[in-house]
Amino acid sequence: MAEPGLRIRQEEGATVIQPAGAWILARIGEFPPVPALPAGAKIVLDGSAIDALDPSGAYKLLDGLRAASADLARLEPRGFAPPLLQVWRLVAANLPAAQAAPHAPRGLLHHLGLGAVAAGRHVAGFTNFVGRLAAEYLRLVRSPGGFRHREFVAQLEEIFVYAIPISLAMIFLMGLVFAYLMGVQAQKFGANIYVVDGVAAAVLRELSPVIVAILVAGRSGAAITAQLGTMKVNEEIDALAVLGLSPYAVLVLPRILALLLALPLLVFLGDIAGLLGGMLVAKAQLGLEFSQYWDRLDMVLKMPTFLVGIGKSPVFAVFIGLIACRMGLSVARDARSVGLNTTSTVVQSIVAIIVLDAIFAIIFVELGI
Amino acid sequence: MREPVIEVRDVVTRLGGTLIHDGVSLSVMRGEVTALIGGSGTGKSVLLKEIIGLIRPQAGSIRLFGEDVWKAGETELMALRRRFGVLFQDGALFSSLSVEQNVAAPLREHTALPPKDCLELARLKIALAGLPASASAKMPSELSGGMRKRAALARALALDPELLFLDEPTSGLDPISARAFDRLIRLLSDSLGLTVFLVTHDLDTLLAMVDRIIVLARGKVLGQGTVEELKKVDDAWLQEYFSTRPRSAPDGS
Repeated sequence: MAEPGLRIRQEEGATVIQPAGAWILARIGEFPPVPALPAGAKIVLDGSAIDALDPSGAYKLLDGLRAASADLARLEPRGFAPPLLQVWRLVAANLPAAQAAPHAPRGLLHHLGLGAVAAGRHVAGFTNFVGRLAAEYLRLVRSPGGFRHREFVAQLEEIFVYAIPISLAMIFLMGLVFAYLMGVQAQKFGANIYVVDGVAAAVLRELSPVIVAILVAGRSGAAITAQLGTMKVNEEIDALAVLGLSPYAVLVLPRILALLLALPLLVFLGDIAGLLGGMLVAKAQLGLEFSQYWDRLDMVLKMPTFLVGIGKSPVFAVFIGLIACRMGLSVARDARSVGLNTTSTVVQSIVAIIVLDAIFAIIFVELGI
Repeated sequence: MREPVIEVRDVVTRLGGTLIHDGVSLSVMRGEVTALIGGSGTGKSVLLKEIIGLIRPQAGSIRLFGEDVWKAGETELMALRRRFGVLFQDGALFSSLSVEQNVAAPLREHTALPPKDCLELARLKIALAGLPASASAKMPSELSGGMRKRAALARALALDPELLFLDEPTSGLDPISARAFDRLIRLLSDSLGLTVFLVTHDLDTLLAMVDRIIVLARGKVLGQGTVEELKKVDDAWLQEYFSTRPRSAPDGS
């Protein structure tokens, strides 16, 4: 096909524009520009030399003519091959306005305002969610028969059973690393045995509850949001509501209760794994016999230390559950929103866990535990 | 003369142990509007996906514009893809992009045009698809079902294809929007010389805008032709399909 070209000539008081060659998308870079035309002149468009024309080509030609201040309403096409004339007519009839108004750039204040409104809505939505859930929980307590056992057990399997290997492995390694670092310091003072005190306090009070909670937030929190969000997108949540079932009772409560039970159990297993990790390092690096380790543990490890750690985990669990379910149910009906909310769940949960842990630390110090 | 744009020869498809196509052959000529019909589970959508190069058939050949889709290399396939547009059943608009960005996406990927020109051409396609200019900046989630289809059609038309594939173009639309959509497709086909291949269930679409119908049943092509020709075919499903509507021809067309 011939290169696109453009010829202009005067003829009987009219300006004749004669495009030639292929005016198609593939050649769009080669289109010649339309020179400025005398304002108000009669313009005739001679299409007899055009080999091929597609909507993009027709648009570019029309747009060029418009930019050259031709009056498109008075433009007279002639000599087009019939199929090309149809393309021309279709595009001319549907020509979009020259320039869509560009979006005005928005200032910092605008974004700040939008952010504040979004944050306000988020808090309001969350409060509403907690309120509805509390009402639903009350109803469950009044008539426990409505509890979804099957869903609860399925969630418990998902959140607890399948998380056992990874939590054991992680806390075991944390205990190992902590004992090793403590040991390096303790050896300098010949205070090898005190490593046991340090490992016990660190693993049981902080490492196990916090690491397990972060693990569950990343693993189960994300899964819950993605699942509920996808159900929302598929209108499954609406289908539940139409059946007269509350999504809170059917989906949210079993998940939160499963988290509530699973997290302390995982923390308990993590405690054991962490202490075992410390024990191995104590023997290998510090030469403490296993029996010495256990005797010392028996002596220094008091019940409150254990309870402080394990007592924090249900609080973490509730926050993970609330955030994950709320973010899942507030997904908009598109794929992008599922991804955004899942990310948000993990970030919010981890921030909540760390903040709560700090609050607990202050409370326990003040109480002298 | 008219050459075939789509040529399917003896295609055999087996999905998960079920034989879906057992030697399907058909061809579609340039400029024709052809509909593929058939009962549920006869593999209409699968055949469509095979033709556009998404599912590989076990045997047989599929040629688009004379080129074998499943023997073409990556470069040839890319060149082929520029020549056809696909309208998916639910639009399949990218939910993270606005309508005009959706329509501009093929232009950005396949041409060297600057982003501003891509958006301009996108707005032309949006207008051609019969959407108001105000729809351009909207997100797909803000559109109604009918507008979503039109936006998806605009995206299918982005590269000025010669061939357009439509998967159930009128499903989920009310009768008025569905007929308007039919008219739009017909207008585009007539004005732009588009070859259109559609999978549909909608009898009104068949009566209003389709040149030729291909019927798929029991893994084979049962028959092809116009509505009148197909009514003479002795097949229980086909007879029942056409008898769902007492009227034999649409008024005024």
